[in-house]
Amino acid sequence: MDDRLRETLSAMMDDEADELSVRRLLSHHDQARVRDQWQRWQQVRDLMHSGHTPAEGVDVSANVRAALDGRSGMARHRASAKGASPSSRWRWPAVAMVAVALVVGFGAGAGWDSREGSATAGAPEIAAQAVPESDVAAAPVREVTLQGLDEEQWEQMSQYLLEHAQHNSVGAGRGAVGYARVVSAGNGY
Amino acid sequence: MRMNRLSSRLRASAVPALLLVLLALTVPGLAVADDDRSEVNQWLERLAPALNMTSYRGVFVYARGDQVHSMQIAHRYRDGVVEERLVMQDGGSGEIVRRGVNVVCVLPDRGRIRLDQVIPSGPFAEAFTSQLMPVSRWYSAEMVGEDRVAGYEAVEIALRSRDEYRYSHRLWLERTTGLLVKSHVRTLSGDVMEQFQFTSLEITENIPDEEFEIRTEGREISRSLATDDGGAEASPVSRMNGWELGWRPDGFAPAAAPRAGRGQVVAFSDGLAAFSVFVEPAGRLNMPKGASRIGATTIYMHALESGGREFLVTVVGEVPPATARRVAESVRVQDTLALEGNGS
Repeated sequence: MDDRLRETLSAMMDDEADELSVRRLLSHHDQARVRDQWQRWQQVRDLMHSGHTPAEGVDVSANVRAALDGRSGMARHRASAKGASPSSRWRWPAVAMVAVALVVGFGAGAGWDSREGSATAGAPEIAAQAVPESDVAAAPVREVTLQGLDEEQWEQMSQYLLEHAQHNSVGAGRGAVGYARVVSAGNGY
Repeated sequence: MRMNRLSSRLRASAVPALLLVLLALTVPGLAVADDDRSEVNQWLERLAPALNMTSYRGVFVYARGDQVHSMQIAHRYRDGVVEERLVMQDGGSGEIVRRGVNVVCVLPDRGRIRLDQVIPSGPFAEAFTSQLMPVSRWYSAEMVGEDRVAGYEAVEIALRSRDEYRYSHRLWLERTTGLLVKSHVRTLSGDVMEQFQFTSLEITENIPDEEFEIRTEGREISRSLATDDGGAEASPVSRMNGWELGWRPDGFAPAAAPRAGRGQVVAFSDGLAAFSVFVEPAGRLNMPKGASRIGATTIYMHALESGGREFLVTVVGEVPPATARRVAESVRVQDTLALEGNGS
């Protein structure tokens, strides 16, 4: 599946896909793969939002098709600003192409925030979050926003993350978590 | 007189009686607490061996900050050798295959590839797992209860940080094997900052050899986890060459780490959390100073001047920003020449 279709799938999850893209997705030759991807993302999103609605085995493509043909409300045709300017919303693929370390990452799903549910996608937008007061032992810690870094600075920052993740990996008492940290760090720039 | 003696005798006998009553009241409570503690400790002792010695296959999800990754894993322990294959489920089609100390990494053939940094390249497996840290000194451990994760019965353990220098953790271990099937890193107030969880899992001895074969086409890069210079890696302290740490939270001990390209990095671990300290001469790149965070991971950068030279101290770890800052600010450079020699 190419990046464009992945984008469409993700936009569908956010209810922001336009009709043409959805039709293109539905006519993709490998429907099983599209379905797998959809279900996996749905699962992840449910997990992130502590939901319990496993999408496993649910095939929504027929209903979507019917909705498109019947112009019912299910596939809302939204020419939203984001949908109309994919280049700004989907900045991540360009970044990811440059950035592949180990994975190209979670692709279009990279924007799901488990806590705030924000939909800003994009690898470099893993902005430094506000430091909760409970963390601050004494004086407030000066915060650096990762968004503000230039490419070289970001690369350097990623290198630190990667090296630290390596220290943690394989046997840091966390097994797969260590790997996941390596991958996550590698994906970030 | 007699009355006095009587009352004092009464007092004398009442005190032990009272103590006995108190003891009788408190002992069951203490016994329960002790039982709970020993049960938690038994589970924690199983954690590290279970990670290596359980054979399983499944898919897990890892999330921190805005990033979410999903990976498929097959892990087999046979004749003392660990075999593992990880396949990325989203985005590119990278995979990692490990057999014992040999790791092969296959990446999609596009983009800028930074393999040297990606492949784990140090003897940390042994270093960390052989360190049986008394985590209960730094975390108050408690059995939370039972849960089900990816279809398996699991016990849930809360490890609440005893001080503000580290985060709290929550671990879910599969009941029969002790395999870590889910984990959270949380703030003291309970916000989840990082999570890992199997979404599908099968614990089975029966994983055929084919599942450990590389299937992705692309550039293959091999690496051995064994060190080239053996014993020289053993002491991480010796690599704090030319600098020292003035402060670190209790319980964080230097842990063996792979020799990185940069040379001057040491990792510290309390058995659950870890942070790495990088000390190097400030290069031409001007890095912003302060703290950044991705999920539970903090990066703190601090400029240091010593002997008329500028140094950059970077602390990266799953610790609160205030801890990272205090660690970074406590670094003292003793020998600028040693640092400059290694740091390039």
